[in-house]
Amino acid sequence: MLEIKDLHKRFGDTVALDGVSLSAAPGEVVGFVGANGAGKTTTMRIAMGVLAADSGEIVYNGAPLGVEQRRRFGYMPSERGLYPKMKTGEQVAYFGELHGMSKAAAKRSAAELLEQLDLSERMGDFVQDLSLGNQQRVQLAVSLVHDPEVLILDEPFSGLDPIAVDVMGTALKDRAAAGAPVIFSSHQLDLIERLCDSVVIIGNGRIIASGTVEELKAKEVKQLRISVEAAEDLTALLPGTVTRDGDDYLIEDGDDQEALRVASSAGRVTRFAYDQPTIAEIFREAVTR
Amino acid sequence: MSNQSAETSRMRGLMLVAGREIRVRGLSKANLVSLLVTVVIVGVLAALPSLIGGNEEDAAIGLAGENAPAMQAQLEAMGGFDITVYDTADEAERAVEDETVEAAVADGSLYSLDGVGNEVETKIDAAWQAASVQTNLANAGLSDQEIAGALTVEPLEFVTLESGGVHSTLDYFTGLVISIIMFMMLMTPVQYIAMGVVEEKSSRIVEILLTSLKPWQLLGGKVIGLGVISLVNLVAMVAVGLGVSAATGMLGDLPPGTAAAAVSTIGWWLMAFALFGTLAGGVGSLVSRQEESGSVLTPLIMSLTLSYLGAIFLLNAPTSTFAEVLSIVPPFSGIAMPTRMAITEVPAWQVGLSAVLLAAAAAGALALGSQLYKRSVLYTGSRMKLTEALRRAA
Repeated sequence: MLEIKDLHKRFGDTVALDGVSLSAAPGEVVGFVGANGAGKTTTMRIAMGVLAADSGEIVYNGAPLGVEQRRRFGYMPSERGLYPKMKTGEQVAYFGELHGMSKAAAKRSAAELLEQLDLSERMGDFVQDLSLGNQQRVQLAVSLVHDPEVLILDEPFSGLDPIAVDVMGTALKDRAAAGAPVIFSSHQLDLIERLCDSVVIIGNGRIIASGTVEELKAKEVKQLRISVEAAEDLTALLPGTVTRDGDDYLIEDGDDQEALRVASSAGRVTRFAYDQPTIAEIFREAVTR
Repeated sequence: MSNQSAETSRMRGLMLVAGREIRVRGLSKANLVSLLVTVVIVGVLAALPSLIGGNEEDAAIGLAGENAPAMQAQLEAMGGFDITVYDTADEAERAVEDETVEAAVADGSLYSLDGVGNEVETKIDAAWQAASVQTNLANAGLSDQEIAGALTVEPLEFVTLESGGVHSTLDYFTGLVISIIMFMMLMTPVQYIAMGVVEEKSSRIVEILLTSLKPWQLLGGKVIGLGVISLVNLVAMVAVGLGVSAATGMLGDLPPGTAAAAVSTIGWWLMAFALFGTLAGGVGSLVSRQEESGSVLTPLIMSLTLSYLGAIFLLNAPTSTFAEVLSIVPPFSGIAMPTRMAITEVPAWQVGLSAVLLAAAAAGALALGSQLYKRSVLYTGSRMKLTEALRRAA
């Protein structure tokens, strides 16, 4: 269990984080969503120990996170970086060793990962000679080479081609299935919705919404959508606040059973359901609230 | 989960970073080629004095005629001649013709195929004059003892009023080579360290590195790695230099303590490198782009260049106050002291004081450089002011 507790951080006069807390249980994939400059990267950097918080703490399995445990984490920073003049295989293995693996194990793991990423033939090439997309794959290999216990990934999907997105998504799911807490940020909300067990929304350095995807959706204002094959306009007849969306009626704050009676007496009801908001809608709602 | 992984100890992290530098930079083609070229140059330079100075073989000289015994005595006293005495001038002339000897002196003539070298000619001429005087005196009826008494001249005694005021070309040459090597061996790795720091910073890889390494490991490993590369280069050069000198028989001719100075040069280099290397890492971390690194490195490059120029100046006046001060005050002492030690005797207290001051300065640079590095390595954007870096909380 990784817990980020009440982080505060200022850069000069700017408040970057104002009491940020979130947590990831073993096997849980947490999506971290927020506008640019909301505080995602700062939170992740503090969690990875590359930035010091003004206050607050990071707790791992019930104890403050130490250097040795953090070394077993996998991290992908928002700004990618690799040694351009180092061979691909050597570089991935080097990071494995830095994370505490033996030389042989790091080499083996690097070879396996690059094989999975379809880069086996490029192992002896300098990173600077790879295409940008392949460099991204190497970056992914660097964050996964030591079989990390926890994954903290800042925008892991940005700049990836569809195949690499699948590889990355599978990798996240695999790590989670093996019991690792996974936290990742993304602006691609469809990916968040597909991959995440829970979502944390941050805005201006504060957590403005969090919970499982279902919880967040349930919390949103419900809209009843009705499609009726009727000649007359039912706007005045239906209960609650009624708006039109094309031929559909959208009802807020009205008794749904009453609405069904009105609709079915007017004609054939082809659709009668509550709209499920997408994460994108929840996000927009949350940040503009 | 990752139970295959051993705990990465602090030293392991440091050594991994150093090892990477050695693999990537030390074993790079560029470094290997430059090492080879430098070693060849040093070897040629070391062989040069013997090539110029000439330890050539004894000149074979034939003698005949009245003065022959006296000439033989004179030439043997001078040394450097392989003498054959012939019965007649004709025999001596024939020996020159069939190249049994280079030249022959008989009855007042010097026979040779196409002249003799200046040095040989001067010596033979001097021997001829002395032998002629000896023969003339004997003909005038003086006894051998009287002749010996008349010819015995005490050689001039050279008295220098300033101790160590006169230095041979060899001393100068040794000092020059040491100062050049020191300068090169500091300049190159110092620039590589700064470049490496900026490379990691500009490529943002430092952010990943710092999740598993402490800043001191990252900076320390880099300094150690480039230090090892340079040390290998330096040892190779010193070994080749001394080896070639020994092989050409020049080692014995070098001023006393030259070999020791060459070896102690490595010690001076270690301290000077610790000083300049860590500072280079520290100031390198102030900038985020490679093209800005020149501006922050300027003070370091300047003081290195001044140290070198000072050492060259010192070679011409090794006992001046300027030389004494320069070889004691860090960071200049790093190059100046080993240079001065090669050319002149330096009082032990000065060597000791210089070493202590340089070591203290290196320790200070280590602290300052790593603080600068720690505080500014994750800061990206425009160049960070030195004062700001020092003010920032780590």
